[in-house]
Amino acid sequence: MMKNVKSFIVAIMAIIMFIGFSFGGFIAKASAASTVSGKITIAGSTALLPLTQQAAKEFKKENPKVTVSVSGSSSIAGPQSVVKGAATIGACDWDATKPVQGFSAFSGLVAHKIAVIPFATIVHKSNPVQNLTTKQLQDIYAGTITNWKQVGGKDAQIVVVNRKHGSGTRVNFQAKALKNANFMSKGDNYKEVGKSGEMLAAVESNPNAIGYTDLAYVKGNVKAVSYNGVAATTQNVVNGKYPVWSYGYLLTKGQPKGADAEFIKFIQSSKFQNGSLKNLKFVPVSQMK
Amino acid sequence: MNEQIFRKYVIRRKSSFAMDKIFTYSLWLVASMILLLVTFLLIRILWNGLPGITLHFLTGIPDEIEAGGGVGPFLFNSIYILLISMALSLPIGIGSGIYLAEYAPNNRLTGFIRTSVEGLASVPSIIFGLFGYVLFVDVFQMGLTILGAGIALSLLNLPVITRVTEEAIQAIPIDLREASYALGATKSQTIWKVIIPAALSGIITGSALAACRAFGESAVILLAGGTGTSGIMWDFNPMSQGGTLPIHLWYAQSEALVEDAKQIADRSAAVMVLCILLINMLIRLPILIRDFRMWKH
Amino acid sequence: MKLEGNIKSSSYLPAHGFKIKARTKNVRNYLFFLFCLLSALMLGVVLFCIVLFIGKTGLLVFKDVSVMEFFFSTKWEPYDGKYGAAIFILGTLSLTALTMCFAVPLSLALAVFIVEVAPNWVKKILRPMLDLLVGIPSIIYGYLGLTLLIPLLRNITGSIMGDGLLAASLVLTVMVLPTITRISDDAITAVPKDLCEAAYALGSTRFQAVFRVILPAARPGILTATVLGMARAIGETMAVVMVIGNTAQIPGDLLTPTAVLTSNIVMQIIDVQFDSTWNYALYMMAFLLLIISTLMILIIRRIRGKGE
Repeated sequence: MMKNVKSFIVAIMAIIMFIGFSFGGFIAKASAASTVSGKITIAGSTALLPLTQQAAKEFKKENPKVTVSVSGSSSIAGPQSVVKGAATIGACDWDATKPVQGFSAFSGLVAHKIAVIPFATIVHKSNPVQNLTTKQLQDIYAGTITNWKQVGGKDAQIVVVNRKHGSGTRVNFQAKALKNANFMSKGDNYKEVGKSGEMLAAVESNPNAIGYTDLAYVKGNVKAVSYNGVAATTQNVVNGKYPVWSYGYLLTKGQPKGADAEFIKFIQSSKFQNGSLKNLKFVPVSQMK
Repeated sequence: MNEQIFRKYVIRRKSSFAMDKIFTYSLWLVASMILLLVTFLLIRILWNGLPGITLHFLTGIPDEIEAGGGVGPFLFNSIYILLISMALSLPIGIGSGIYLAEYAPNNRLTGFIRTSVEGLASVPSIIFGLFGYVLFVDVFQMGLTILGAGIALSLLNLPVITRVTEEAIQAIPIDLREASYALGATKSQTIWKVIIPAALSGIITGSALAACRAFGESAVILLAGGTGTSGIMWDFNPMSQGGTLPIHLWYAQSEALVEDAKQIADRSAAVMVLCILLINMLIRLPILIRDFRMWKH
Repeated sequence: MKLEGNIKSSSYLPAHGFKIKARTKNVRNYLFFLFCLLSALMLGVVLFCIVLFIGKTGLLVFKDVSVMEFFFSTKWEPYDGKYGAAIFILGTLSLTALTMCFAVPLSLALAVFIVEVAPNWVKKILRPMLDLLVGIPSIIYGYLGLTLLIPLLRNITGSIMGDGLLAASLVLTVMVLPTITRISDDAITAVPKDLCEAAYALGSTRFQAVFRVILPAARPGILTATVLGMARAIGETMAVVMVIGNTAQIPGDLLTPTAVLTSNIVMQIIDVQFDSTWNYALYMMAFLLLIISTLMILIIRRIRGKGE
């Protein structure tokens, strides 16, 4: 009986070792022969996540020998993960090769401009407020306006949802919508969330919440609020009326090679830019003048 | 005078009986409430998730944009990482358990090893994750991988398996060993042919419980394995990203991009509970069979 | 061990032909011993590496941040160079204390119920059920907390958000309850039957027997159970992350978002560079967790030492 157990354990271990290591090597070897192959790991911005995920899906269809894993946490994780070696491509809502307010430049990285990201202030669908001015937004996020009736809504306390430090959406929202005014940092009606998806979930589940995401996330139970009377649409971004947007970047360690280069090329191709990218409510880079 | 004391005594007796009644009833109340709550929670998870579990969901590729994706690669990674971690921690854990139970002399070294086992058992899981993260991402430059997650997870299993092995071996009567030595067997032969078979059921039960814990572990995997997968099914490459089902549950509920993110989270939860239930049933099966037989006779 | 020595010294072999076989047998014997010893040493090495790694990295934070600031300042604004971890330390301590306030009485009641009150068939359901609950992934408790408990808290208390210490401690209570109950259950079962019988014979009711005899007798076991439950509550990460709110502030009440050591580490570690003060500060928090868990072990050892 013991012998059986022993050989069983040995067999299992051997199988795991064999499958794991030789197969792993196999894949790497076999795919080296074809034109585009390899492993792409994308980390970083959740604002760009819908875009990178869609791109990864289409790219995999065209290049079945490439594996692409896409995940998102926040913009700063993009360049960080690339520098650390945890990812081959980092997504970031600002050009991380240059210093941006509060963040120093990353050396050794190359930035690739892939899209224009329009950002929007979001509230629950049942909220009657349609428009907020720069001043009102500044006061809400500074914690001086605390009730929706002060900006023309119901009599209810405002729940302020902010992204955590390191979010590109936060950086751009602060710079472009709040004109660099300061955020509040504590309060019993204040909460910081990690990702765009969490922001959406927080606002969706709370009728008195206010938050911000990029346009791609505005769906379901949330709606975008106009900014100084201008609706948050891709059109208004293109014609220059809506100022709350930024370029989105992919970052690589040095010049990209192999599958990474092909992937970036794929996202920048006019087919993708004018197809899926537009459908996801981003704006092609070429449309900005 | 005497009567007064007696009366007092009777009153006290009465009140303490009343107290006792209240005490017993409140225990029943607390216990049944906890039981109800727990049953409610378990049933709710299964109720919400089970109807949506199809073969397609279990083996399908996750879709991040359209509804209807599966959790195949995550479930696969969960099992793959679990196997790697068990393959690493079982031999080492059982080996050190045997050492502590059979060889360890009463000296400083043994004291040190025992302290280490206890210390390791109490280390919060996030610290194993952090350790794996630095080791594999920073030092070895491997990135977030299945292999890294498996190794980090095996560290979590090690002390548990060591302890259950030691306890299982210590429960074996000394006669068995003596008989084996008397027949001229060496120590290692005795251990292999007599002690381990006798302790096997205990070791298996304990290891299965450790496997349960490893299967549901999330903090370690999040830091050492990442949140993604390679996005294809049956990817045995241990250098792919090692996101598992618990991580996917977390990711799906916080990354509400897909329309059916909530259903995916519900179903993932149900799959996990189902797996844990199955493992528990399997462990308990021999006991249940024995009980059933005893009841029949 | 003695037995083993005797056998070794007396294991001469009568026939010359057996010698080679015996030698391989001895080599095998020795190799196996070596394997077991190395495995056991490995555990020590792993623990040592972890402590060294986390501790060494963590202590680097004091190059840039004073000890006073790290432990006593409540200003956690790493992007502005302010590394006060007091919020998280207080958060972890108060979360654990609150959890224990809920969990210990409930667990003890349940354990006493199982041992002293419950009929046999109830015992047969309850014990396996608790074992099962220990194995349920923590992320599921967190998920239930997020989808069930927080909306419930919002409705009941009228609070606008619902996440915070109360939600987290309730989730943790459900998580540690089976652990504490099962170990206390074992401790109470181990109380010698004579003790209870003596108490009953003296005319005490069950209530009196439980509080005056059984619980005091089982105290070391119950304390161990409590400390183990505490260790689990302090180290739990993902379930807490989902319901605590993750905002670095001292909460005014139990329904205001805050953060604890574990949640803060896991939320920020991915965003920081390996050789930055911020990173070191997070490692220092992890090191604190390690120290706290080691303290727990020492406490358990003392309890055990007294019990024996």
